[in-house]
Amino acid sequence: MREPRAQALEPEALAAEARPARQPRAFTRDEIETVPHEVEARLETLTDGNLPDLPELAPQKAYRRMGWLARTGLAAGGILISLALGLWVDQLLRDLFDRFPALGWIGLAAAALAGIAILALALRELLALRRLRVLDGLRRAASEAIETDNPDRGRAVLSELSGLYHARPDLANARNVLAENTQDLFDGSAIVHHAERVLMSPLDGRARALTANAARRVAVVTAISPRALVDIGFVVYESFRLAGAISRLYGARPGFFGSIGLTRAILSHLAVTGGVALGDSVAQQLVGHGLAARLSARLGEGLVNGLMTVRVGIAAMRVVRPLPFDALKAPTVADFIPELAKVAGVGKKESGV
Amino acid sequence: MPKSPITITDEIGIALGNLADAATSPLTPTLRLGVTGLSRAGKTIFITALVHNLLNGTRLPGFAPLTEGRLIGVRLDEHEDHAVPRFAYEQHLGSLTGPEPAWPESTRRISQLRLTLKYQSRNWIGGLVGPSQMHLDIVDYPGEWLLDLPLLNLSYAQWSREALERAERVKDAEARPFFEAMSAIDATAEATEPAAEALATAFAAYLRESRKDGRALSTLPPGRFLMPGDLEGSPALTFAPLPPLPGHTDRRSLHAMLERRYEAYRRLVVRPFFRDHFARLDRQIVLVDTLRALNVGPDAVADLESAITAVMACFRQGSGNPVSRLLSRRIDRILFAATKADHLHHTSHDRLQAILERMVARAARRSRYHGARTASMAIAAIRATREGTIEDKGEKLPCIVGTPQAGEHLGNITYDGKTEIALFPGDLPGDPESVFQEGSVPVPLHFLRFNPPGGLSRSGDGAVVLPHIRLDRALDFLIGDWLK
Repeated sequence: MREPRAQALEPEALAAEARPARQPRAFTRDEIETVPHEVEARLETLTDGNLPDLPELAPQKAYRRMGWLARTGLAAGGILISLALGLWVDQLLRDLFDRFPALGWIGLAAAALAGIAILALALRELLALRRLRVLDGLRRAASEAIETDNPDRGRAVLSELSGLYHARPDLANARNVLAENTQDLFDGSAIVHHAERVLMSPLDGRARALTANAARRVAVVTAISPRALVDIGFVVYESFRLAGAISRLYGARPGFFGSIGLTRAILSHLAVTGGVALGDSVAQQLVGHGLAARLSARLGEGLVNGLMTVRVGIAAMRVVRPLPFDALKAPTVADFIPELAKVAGVGKKESGV
Repeated sequence: MPKSPITITDEIGIALGNLADAATSPLTPTLRLGVTGLSRAGKTIFITALVHNLLNGTRLPGFAPLTEGRLIGVRLDEHEDHAVPRFAYEQHLGSLTGPEPAWPESTRRISQLRLTLKYQSRNWIGGLVGPSQMHLDIVDYPGEWLLDLPLLNLSYAQWSREALERAERVKDAEARPFFEAMSAIDATAEATEPAAEALATAFAAYLRESRKDGRALSTLPPGRFLMPGDLEGSPALTFAPLPPLPGHTDRRSLHAMLERRYEAYRRLVVRPFFRDHFARLDRQIVLVDTLRALNVGPDAVADLESAITAVMACFRQGSGNPVSRLLSRRIDRILFAATKADHLHHTSHDRLQAILERMVARAARRSRYHGARTASMAIAAIRATREGTIEDKGEKLPCIVGTPQAGEHLGNITYDGKTEIALFPGDLPGDPESVFQEGSVPVPLHFLRFNPPGGLSRSGDGAVVLPHIRLDRALDFLIGDWLK
């Protein structure tokens, strides 16, 4: 049995948190001028890239990692294949030199060129993958800036954004407006919301237009295609193209592997939101199987496929947009139904003839 | 349940007024914005900055309708109530942006202003009918008068008890002449005008005196004693509190006369003021000069808190719907704003907001109970300072840079109103509770008053750009959702 006991804490231990409050004091003009005032200080932070320290962000598990067994297998296999390729190239060049020295030199040059090209390609793919990660991280940093309302975090997000878009002529005006106005903002959420309204809304509009166009094309092709296989192929092709176009629009420029990762992210996003967008599916049912199907079965199918493309476009926007939808409303399938209804209107006229 | 502060006739009048509003302009709704604040809280500055920024569309990045490009334009309009003077916006702006920038003088009378906002609605009905319009009505008035609102629910005996209790605390200081005057008269004797006048004068002098050093800056009704407006010298302003006389019923006594006059004051001054300007508000911003109270000490902070709570209890808050709005208006959004946030470095705004939230906690809880949405933020309608850092004895201090007003002093230096200084006003306490606690270690804080900003930039169309802190967010909270 232990006795009850109490121990007095050192008063310093209690007051460890409380820094002694600093005295108010004033300084004359001469002293001021030695000090860069706030705006200049901020410009320095933006130009030098010495950003306030952000807490280490936990890497998001966007791409599922393989188990160690599979990784070992793949790595070993990769090494074997590389070795075989090397051996083959080596043997080929030797044979060429044996046969005819000039041919050997040409072969060597071709091999070197191929090597350089492959290296460059790999580098580009790596950069593209990194950009996708940056977008992911940016989106998370923006959400955090909104939640914590910390102006420094907001500014950090902003300077990353302007780094991402600094070479885009179409956003020059938006960048100027943003740079001018954020001087007067003191809250993380206000800064990020303003960036979203100014910088994202023109991009959002264009992404919507891309999505609507792709959906219309899919609807028309499905409605007039002679074979089911043709329109499935077209839907897949159009979806890939749309996802690529939207990610280039938001500054992602994914390469080959990036596209695969992007497709996975979009598919998983679709799987997750599939249950959520129940209201949208009801609309889809109505439009696809109700109204339009009465007019023509093929047209109904076309609209369903179009709406599917719309959902791919929306998922792509959500996956690659560097800021979360917070100040602006996220697009929904319902927003695009009027666009598709235009196709249906055209179809009605045609079928009436 | 407290009884309604106004009569049933007034209620019917208000309901008819609301109906008339709805009938005359069904497509152009009127939003009445109540700018509430005690004297020197910055009501006039806030209204001037709001009107100027809206009219010129300058620098309001956080105001969504403007940033989204849906606000087509704003213009000053004629107010439908022709009896009340117009808010002298141009004059106030002139004094702020003139060659010698000066803050507007304290408000001495009531005035109002109507803005018409033209905007493109975002919903599909709005898209069909083209640009929509709304009116924004704003009233400016002396903050002292706001203190009268709690009187609507107090009888003469109750008010006398409260007022005498407060005076008792400073019996040996400012209130001494008043107590002397009171002991010199006989409240049961027959009333004479000179006796009443002498007592009222002594009482008014006491109120003015106790306001001077800023200690008791709020709980000093009746407000017209401090800022009489056009009622100076009228019988309704000639009264003073007296100790109760139980069992005394002589209608000709001085006590009875003062009681009649108090009732007349409530009926003729307070009730119309409330009915005409506060009973039909839709939105409210409560401006609180937290820094001035912090400058003075825990007494002033507690005093300010009780004044805000008492005043806010008089307003009609709650959520409404379009049908009930036809008859009765309720305030469904209230913004508590700590003004003069430019007297602090932005890293201290969080703490200022925490102190404000603690200060208005009771008022905000009551409002939320009735169904209103509340928010709080630290704002500066016009930003008089810049920010900077200064190194002092190896310590990096976040400072504000500006020109203090003539006569302001820190330590043993008195400023002449021309020198620009960098000021470190002290750390706000991280625990908001500590500013209320009497006798705790005094927080070393000193806020100076600054001159209005000079050398302002101009926008593309030549309008002066008034710098501000969070005015845009305040505006977005207050009227943004009406412009959807």
